[in-house]
Amino acid sequence: MTDEEHLDADGDLGFTPAVVDDTGRPAPSRTATPRRRALRRRITSLAVLVGALTVVGGGYAMLAPASGADDTAATSQDVEAGRQLYNNSCITCHGANLEGVTGRGPTIVGTGSADVYFQVSTGRMPAPVQGAWELRKVPKFNEQEILQLGAFVQSKGGGPEVPAADADLRADADKLGDGGELFRLNCASCHGATGHGAPLSAGKIAPDLYRATDRQLYTAMQVGPENMPVFGNNQITPEQKRAIIGYVQAMKESNDPGGAGLGRIGPVAEGLVIWTAGLGVLMVSILWIGARL
Amino acid sequence: MTTTNPADHTMSGTGPTGPTGPTVKGPKRFDKPRTPQGKAARWGEDRLGIAGGMRKQLNKVFPDHWSFMMGEIALYSFIILILSGTFLTFFFDASMAEVRYDGAYVPLDGVQMSRAYASTLDISFEVRGGLVMRQIHHWAALLFMAAMLVHMFRVFFTGAFRKPRELNWLIGLGLITLGLVEGFAGYSLPDDLLSGTGLRIAAAIMQSIPVIGSWAEFLVFGGKFPGTVIIGRLYIVHVLLVPGILAGLIGAHMALLVKQKHTEFPGPGKTEQTVSGERMYPTYGMKAGGFFFIVFAVCAALGGLAQINPVWLFGPYNPGQVSSGSQPDWYIGFLDGSTRLFPSWEIRLFDHTIPPLFWPTLVLPGIMFSLAGAYPFLEAKFTHDKSAHNLLQRPRDVPVRTGLGAMAITFYGVLLVSGGNDLIAKAFDISLNAMTWAGRISLLVLPPLVYAATYKICLGLQRHDREVLEHGIETGIIKLLPHGEFIEIHQPLGAVDAHGHGQLGYAGTPVPKKMNQLGTPRRPSIRGFFYPVREKADIQAELDALAAAESSREEHRERELTD
Amino acid sequence: MSTTHGAAPGEQLTAEEAAQLSPEEAMMAGAEADGVYIVHRRDRFPIAGTKAEKRAERTIAIIFLIGFLAAVAFIVVFCGAVPFEWRLPGTGNQNYRYFTPLIGGLLGLSLACIGIGVVLWAKWLLPEEEAVQDRHDGASDMTAQILGAGTLVSGFEDLGIARRSMLKSTLGLAGGALAAVPLVALIGAMIKKPNRGPRQSLFHTPFEAGVPLVYYDGRRVSPDDLLPGGLATVFPGVEGGTKDADSPTLLIRLRPGQAVKARKGQADFGWGDYVAFSKICTHAGCPASLYEQKTGRLLCPCHQSQFDVLQDAKPVFGPATRSLPKLPLNVEMVDGRQYFIARDDYPEAIGPSFWERP
Repeated sequence: MTDEEHLDADGDLGFTPAVVDDTGRPAPSRTATPRRRALRRRITSLAVLVGALTVVGGGYAMLAPASGADDTAATSQDVEAGRQLYNNSCITCHGANLEGVTGRGPTIVGTGSADVYFQVSTGRMPAPVQGAWELRKVPKFNEQEILQLGAFVQSKGGGPEVPAADADLRADADKLGDGGELFRLNCASCHGATGHGAPLSAGKIAPDLYRATDRQLYTAMQVGPENMPVFGNNQITPEQKRAIIGYVQAMKESNDPGGAGLGRIGPVAEGLVIWTAGLGVLMVSILWIGARL
Repeated sequence: MTTTNPADHTMSGTGPTGPTGPTVKGPKRFDKPRTPQGKAARWGEDRLGIAGGMRKQLNKVFPDHWSFMMGEIALYSFIILILSGTFLTFFFDASMAEVRYDGAYVPLDGVQMSRAYASTLDISFEVRGGLVMRQIHHWAALLFMAAMLVHMFRVFFTGAFRKPRELNWLIGLGLITLGLVEGFAGYSLPDDLLSGTGLRIAAAIMQSIPVIGSWAEFLVFGGKFPGTVIIGRLYIVHVLLVPGILAGLIGAHMALLVKQKHTEFPGPGKTEQTVSGERMYPTYGMKAGGFFFIVFAVCAALGGLAQINPVWLFGPYNPGQVSSGSQPDWYIGFLDGSTRLFPSWEIRLFDHTIPPLFWPTLVLPGIMFSLAGAYPFLEAKFTHDKSAHNLLQRPRDVPVRTGLGAMAITFYGVLLVSGGNDLIAKAFDISLNAMTWAGRISLLVLPPLVYAATYKICLGLQRHDREVLEHGIETGIIKLLPHGEFIEIHQPLGAVDAHGHGQLGYAGTPVPKKMNQLGTPRRPSIRGFFYPVREKADIQAELDALAAAESSREEHRERELTD
Repeated sequence: MSTTHGAAPGEQLTAEEAAQLSPEEAMMAGAEADGVYIVHRRDRFPIAGTKAEKRAERTIAIIFLIGFLAAVAFIVVFCGAVPFEWRLPGTGNQNYRYFTPLIGGLLGLSLACIGIGVVLWAKWLLPEEEAVQDRHDGASDMTAQILGAGTLVSGFEDLGIARRSMLKSTLGLAGGALAAVPLVALIGAMIKKPNRGPRQSLFHTPFEAGVPLVYYDGRRVSPDDLLPGGLATVFPGVEGGTKDADSPTLLIRLRPGQAVKARKGQADFGWGDYVAFSKICTHAGCPASLYEQKTGRLLCPCHQSQFDVLQDAKPVFGPATRSLPKLPLNVEMVDGRQYFIARDDYPEAIGPSFWERP
């Protein structure tokens, strides 16, 4: 597990709303010192949220003209640029024709630009060595490069396509209820009702969703990366996928009305708090009351 | 007893009236009340005749060691639970009828849910201050259970359960058991995805009982899980039945405490026939009353500052849905842990099945609670101890019991930690399978190891006490002897014999280990290590003379300043 | 201790003598009558009104004042100074998130101030006191025991229970039977025979031959829907099927190259590369649904039982003992499109085991 993942999972008990950065890079709040007090954390997260939203808006504004215009029908320049990137960074493991190299990497024929987008934008690819699963890392390529890479892979083998950069992948607020039901039925069993993730069998994990962007969520459902099941468009329609994304992001961004969120992981964190903070304060109190001075 | 002499100068008046001699009439005549309060007291006394009985209770002496207040935490949390729970009943609707949500929490808009869940959302989002009450109630419940457990540990490790207090030990165990039931019922009421999952497991546990399993499930749920009645039934169990029994048992627990009087640690002046400390009124009552507010403060602060059981994030219960990391509240965690660790053993008997769930969820806690309940009687039997004990024992002085207790806590702790092993696996990137195996092995291996280690530590601590009693306290002063040997000077604790060895015997009482624990201005009284109770008066006179000299000096100074 | 004292003096005072006592003396005398000996008692501030005493009093008063202010602030916040209505991010005042922390924190502060102030009052201002009380516990003295036992036995003899054995046994009969009445009434009212009535069988689910498979929103499930490596939770397309606790079923489309080693007699339960298993864990009934599409492992989140779908959902780790029941699948054509139907109910009881389950 990377250091960042550790921070998410246990370094900081309080829940910080997702920071939507369309390169999937960790936002500044992630590197800040842990152990902020509850109130300060909420103020900070609000500031971070505002900042991040600005960054997102700006990022989209900057990137959209570069790559969004012709996502559905990638230009030959994009494919060519993608080929260059592929030959530099991917070819050693996935082979010259996406056929894979035994012992290094699997074939990626037919995985489509959606899979490329998910794997590369979450930093899982390029991976140093082949493993059973990869963890989220800082991505090596920018959004434009990732789309070019996807265009190349798409041109060679077809497969699910990444949604256009300007596509609105979040349903409106009136679909939150449906999105929530779909999320709890299909996603929460692994990623948890609050998106905290879970361990799977024998050391594998279902990652948390804290930093997942709309497109990462969408492409993940499209292709089922690693051990995640695939959710085809006939099973969960694009409209339903948008509802799920809308719910997940709203749930992540929504503030905790009841104080510090304790990581939103439920009774285990609550038990720890009562035994340390609650009983701790009271033990100090009885020592003080019982002292003879 | 010089202090019983009213002329004693230690009894200088508490108020501005100053010292009063026996011949001077007090300013108050209790036999002829003139003030309104006095007349009210007379009115009551004429009807109730409680002056003597009331005085007896007000004068009751409580020892004031800090560790004796853990049970108070549990008592006060219970009161807080009743207060906050009463508030919640005004708004909660224990019905499983389906409704379509249309409330303030937009992400659940239009979702089908039970009225129980919807009204919990309303308490959280639409009742002003409802969320803080819910959270105070839940935190107080976690605290209630935690405090009962630490109180039980204190009673166990100090031997307070011994004759004549075995009955109170059993009542305490009953309180913990009922607390588990009460807590689980409360946890289930909101009918959210987390609690529904827990209820489904509870149904499976009932089903797993040999012979009557499915009958038990159908009886409790009014049919097959989930049915339509369970929330209503759990509600009445949670707000009336179990709290009523809990209140009765707590009353009995306290009544026995009052009847038998509190235990205390051994020490100079402490005997099996007496109890020493502060009287109930006013000092101990003030401290205990103040402590109630402190416990309430902790619950209120947690209820405001730390979010607990955010059911809106979990969604309503739906049998087809589940969230990873579904856990019970901590006090049920040991059962979840035992269930996770138990191997996949199913017993087939004459074409019938004893499911694997039966052993870790019903048999194991049955054994655990039975052993705990039987412990006082087993210990008395094995140690042939038939006498009554009012003086406690320090854990180090009973290494076997302390070792057994540490062993039991370790066993419980492994189960508790295993109840959250998926979150630990995720947080520390350990394989889930490895966590399960680590739990299984630890459960068998760790308790005996802990027993052995605790036993050794107890003996070591005892030995150290004996060394100090014999040789005195290490002063840190190193002395060079004429022949070149370095020795550290030890301060003896009492009279020494010809060889410089202390004469004090080992008595199971605390022994000062550092120089600055000697002669500290703790209460200058019979509590000191060196002086038995009979010499108290002399010490007292000396100290009071010192204090009088001090205060007259101060008085003098003040007069000079004002002049 | 009691040996060092004579008879308790309080008991010997006449009312007239007692009336002469100051409150403190009366307390002392009363305490001794109760077997409570105040062996040490001293004012913390023997001289009234010293600076130190005033300082202590002032400190405690300030703490009480903070408690007062916190309680007032609580009332102000509660009555509307801070909004409490929940709002979606970006759609309204988000300050509601301070409401609960503020009122909880202020209430805690107010309570803490009163608690700490009262304890300080006791510790700083009340007289230092050490009291010793005789316990008088254990069994009563022998005379009392004998008299008590005599009272019990005499009453017993008056009743003549030993002689009137007919009365004893008949009352015993009546009482015993009556004692059973509330138990019987309660259990009798609540008891239900298992497996009777619609949707009440532990052995059957709403699936039966020809029942369509539907998603939670009622749409029918087609073999075209899932992609390889896909997973869907499906339900029987009958009234209330999506809410039935035994119905949730995992429909899995295997990846190319994956195959299920079927159980005896269930080789044809799948359809193409589709298999369907009960979602309800055979261990404790949680939905076992953490599916790893590449390894074919299925994990239950409650107690971590792991099932291998490729070995026909056999338990391979954790406490579960039985394979997940498998639903026999078939397909029917409706308007030119194929849709899944159940060929029959599950061949065995789903969910956790129980005594009667073979």
